[in-house]
Amino acid sequence: MSSADWKNYEPVLIPNVKDIHKIDVYIKNGGYSALKSVLTDKKKWADSKSVVDEVKAANIRGRGGAGFNAGLKWSFMPPADGGPRYLACNGDESEPGTFKDRKIFEYNPHVFIEGALIAAYAMQITTIYVYIRGEYLAYIKMMEKAIQDAYDKGMIGKNIFGSDYSVDFHVTYGAGAYICGEETSMLESLEGKRGYPRVKPPFPAQKGLWGRPTTINNIETLAHVPSVINRGAGWFSSIGAENHPGPILYGISGHVNRPGVYELPSGIPILDLIHDVAGGMKNGKKLKAVIPGGSSTPVLRADQLEGITMDSESLRTAGTMLGTAGMVVMDEDTDMVDMLWRITHFYHHESCGQCTPCREGTGWLEKIMLKIKNGNGEVKDLDLLLDITTQMEGRTICALADAAAWPVRHTITRFRDEFEARCKKSAHAVV
Amino acid sequence: MPEVFIDGKRYEYEGEQRLLQFIQDQGMEVPFFCYHPSMTAPANCRQCMVKVGQPVKDRETGEYEKDEDGERVIRWFPKLQTSCNIMIADGMVVKTQETDDLVKRAQKDNLELILINHPLDCPICDQAGECPLQIQTYKYGPEGSRFEVKKVHKPKRVQLGPRVVLDAERCINCTRCTRFTEEISKTHQLTITSRGDKNYPTAAPGREFDDPYSLNTVDLCPVGALTSADFRFKARVWEMNQTPSIDISNGKGCNIDIWTRDNLVLRITPRFNEEVNDYWMPDEGREAYKRFNENRVSRPLQKLDNEQVNSSWNNAIATISEQVDGVDKKDVTIIASPHASVEENYILAKFASLLGMNPPVFTPHVEKGKGDGFLLTDDLAPNANGCRLLGFEEKSAAGIAAAVEKAKVVLLLSDHLADRGIITTDKLKDTFVAVFATNHSETTKNADLVVPITTAAEHAASYVNVDGRIQRTFPAKETKYSNRRLDLEMSEGRLDRYGTSFDNWITEENKIDCLPLWRFMSELAAYKGMENFAYTSGREIMDEIAAANDLFSGVSYEAMDEQSGITLDKTKTTVKL
Repeated sequence: MSSADWKNYEPVLIPNVKDIHKIDVYIKNGGYSALKSVLTDKKKWADSKSVVDEVKAANIRGRGGAGFNAGLKWSFMPPADGGPRYLACNGDESEPGTFKDRKIFEYNPHVFIEGALIAAYAMQITTIYVYIRGEYLAYIKMMEKAIQDAYDKGMIGKNIFGSDYSVDFHVTYGAGAYICGEETSMLESLEGKRGYPRVKPPFPAQKGLWGRPTTINNIETLAHVPSVINRGAGWFSSIGAENHPGPILYGISGHVNRPGVYELPSGIPILDLIHDVAGGMKNGKKLKAVIPGGSSTPVLRADQLEGITMDSESLRTAGTMLGTAGMVVMDEDTDMVDMLWRITHFYHHESCGQCTPCREGTGWLEKIMLKIKNGNGEVKDLDLLLDITTQMEGRTICALADAAAWPVRHTITRFRDEFEARCKKSAHAVV
Repeated sequence: MPEVFIDGKRYEYEGEQRLLQFIQDQGMEVPFFCYHPSMTAPANCRQCMVKVGQPVKDRETGEYEKDEDGERVIRWFPKLQTSCNIMIADGMVVKTQETDDLVKRAQKDNLELILINHPLDCPICDQAGECPLQIQTYKYGPEGSRFEVKKVHKPKRVQLGPRVVLDAERCINCTRCTRFTEEISKTHQLTITSRGDKNYPTAAPGREFDDPYSLNTVDLCPVGALTSADFRFKARVWEMNQTPSIDISNGKGCNIDIWTRDNLVLRITPRFNEEVNDYWMPDEGREAYKRFNENRVSRPLQKLDNEQVNSSWNNAIATISEQVDGVDKKDVTIIASPHASVEENYILAKFASLLGMNPPVFTPHVEKGKGDGFLLTDDLAPNANGCRLLGFEEKSAAGIAAAVEKAKVVLLLSDHLADRGIITTDKLKDTFVAVFATNHSETTKNADLVVPITTAAEHAASYVNVDGRIQRTFPAKETKYSNRRLDLEMSEGRLDRYGTSFDNWITEENKIDCLPLWRFMSELAAYKGMENFAYTSGREIMDEIAAANDLFSGVSYEAMDEQSGITLDKTKTTVKL
């Protein structure tokens, strides 16, 4: 299905089925058949490696923001040596503007559970952790219930579907730190330690949770797995944009009439998403700017949006990224200075403090932004901000410094007039 | 042999090595804060950035690809790398701040960032003068700061434990201290609390940082965030003299530096010795500095009418001579000491044998359960093995008490037997007891004659630790009879070297009126007309011991200095060390 044909797309992650979060309803609608197939249909799935190959062929690009081929990631796991191996499912979605995994926890938890079980089987993993952000208390409870139901039905536990495969599934949750969504600090947090990102290498596939091979996948990524198994890699990779195929959960927020999570093929024109899917701009205002995939992705001006589609290649040409596809739409009344200050405030608050450039830089950015916001800034402060972003970018262990630096750099360069207008008039003429 | 190119120069290497350590080992420098050779590399300060590349190999032939000029094609890492956690690999090409402007810029940028929330209170900071942050900033930092907004405020003067005080604002979050408690002392007492620029190290709520090795974190701290509660605000680093020495508070013999000013020992810090204590030492050893300053015996004391009064050196010599001559030589008991050096013990033994007295005996000073398998030992004396190797008879406490009781004259070398409960003073009424002592104690208080002798901080002498390793001290503070400018063994501080006599601190009272034991014994021998008994330094005594005693063969001050101590060949002796 091409992206242009999106109006005819039938959602699979969040289908229009009442009470799909209940395990009976989920099973009645074909749920857990993919799991059963990989575990029992030896003709179709000769071994666990054939599952990995299928997922690799589908090219599910990680939905957590980095966009790495999930099947390829699975294939990095070393061969099983009898010791423990882990699948850690990352449900710590904390990026401002992102709320897609919540939809899965709330609306269709079993599609994720089934996907995680298939992934675990494919990598011969016997322990699964799902790490959910602590603020999602209601959804943590829902997930706990869903997992208990799946245990009761024999979908998790010993000898699933009579096969010799057994697995355990645990829910753990964070304590409110954005940084614990970074995969290695999530591992630290799972181990009960402070959420400091780890230095890579070694990568988690070699030395992950408790020093053992571990794969970390986003919730939505895993939720795509059952349909890949049921309908084949060809079906998945034919949907949407070629370089970034499959359905995506678009989380649209901001000044639109119908904000929410929408499951649609990748590669949809941004303007279609805003004007058709999300029901257009609120109160008939003019569109001013869009953050396409969570607060760390660079903002685009309305005049940059023509012809841009929601896939990694098109967005890269436009000078931004797909990220988590959590789109923030801003209308003409939005104050970009205020907006950027709020983003710098967020990253200052959430920097873990391990690496110098991020620990000190995020705070400095916020303080200067506050000064500009309050009308005390000078034009030289804008250049200082840009300078600080180069001092931070690419010089830290994890990507939080980059995530903090990009919005500052691109918002200032793309809305420079607005920032300069907020600055004090210089006493000296700028030559 | 695998090769690596650093700043255009080729080096060969062996085994697995961290790039930063390798660069340092070659005598070059890359600035850093969080890295420590004895701990894991968290790469969190981001200061040791370098540019790293790897030559491109042809997949089929395995040969390096060459460009038009015949040079290897290098594939550079897309980002700068922290040299502390990169392992060097064959063919690796590295550019440091010396040859790459981007690296130089990155290091400068990083220092600007580190300093924005640092209080810059160097004038009142204990660390100033020995502060890596200060040094690196002078060398690699920006000239000024563009930070014009408010700094972060964090807790100050926090008493983390009995010995360590935290100033969280100075902290640069290198996590050296927390890693120390995790990886070295293994008490896990410190952790980082809070997030981002509000980060700082702390103990768990309601808990104290009372790790027996806690003061090592003060040495490790690359800024003045952790300071010693005891040493805080006592002295500027550049006013002190730093003298290498040996910890005498237990049997491990940790290598230390003694820091003095105005002939007072102000602090003790560990000195690196891979064979003994690595970079560490227990807090107890540091607190032992007080015994070099306080409660010292200064000038001889003699008992007259049951009261100790100040005496003179001539009087002390004459009294001992008279007492020893007044009894049968077999009625003289000489008690050697595991607390005294090899040289001091040897000189007493030689004195005894020349005069035909019984050879000295000693009792070790052991407290079961004190040791921890790391740097604390059950043995509380620095030189029990030295006494054993000199062939002294090792006696139990009761054995020593019996030997004292039956003697008419007792010569006791710096072992406070009464304080340790080994002898009771009322039994000594009819015995003449001469004590060679450094500090006052119950034992000296009841002695008939007290001869003040030098401590490990005042003489050069050797000690054999629990593992049979002989190591030596240097004189760190002057006595009434020594002179820093004349004694070449003594260290020269900044003020000695560059200051006028008005710059330096001179308090005559801080110089103790005491003599090295060998000097006193030489005077005594001369008084008695003995021959072959004139010593002016520990050095010549050690040479004599090495020549006469096979167990010490090859030992000399030069050899000990060169190898930071010598492990003696235990197979040569049947005595259990």
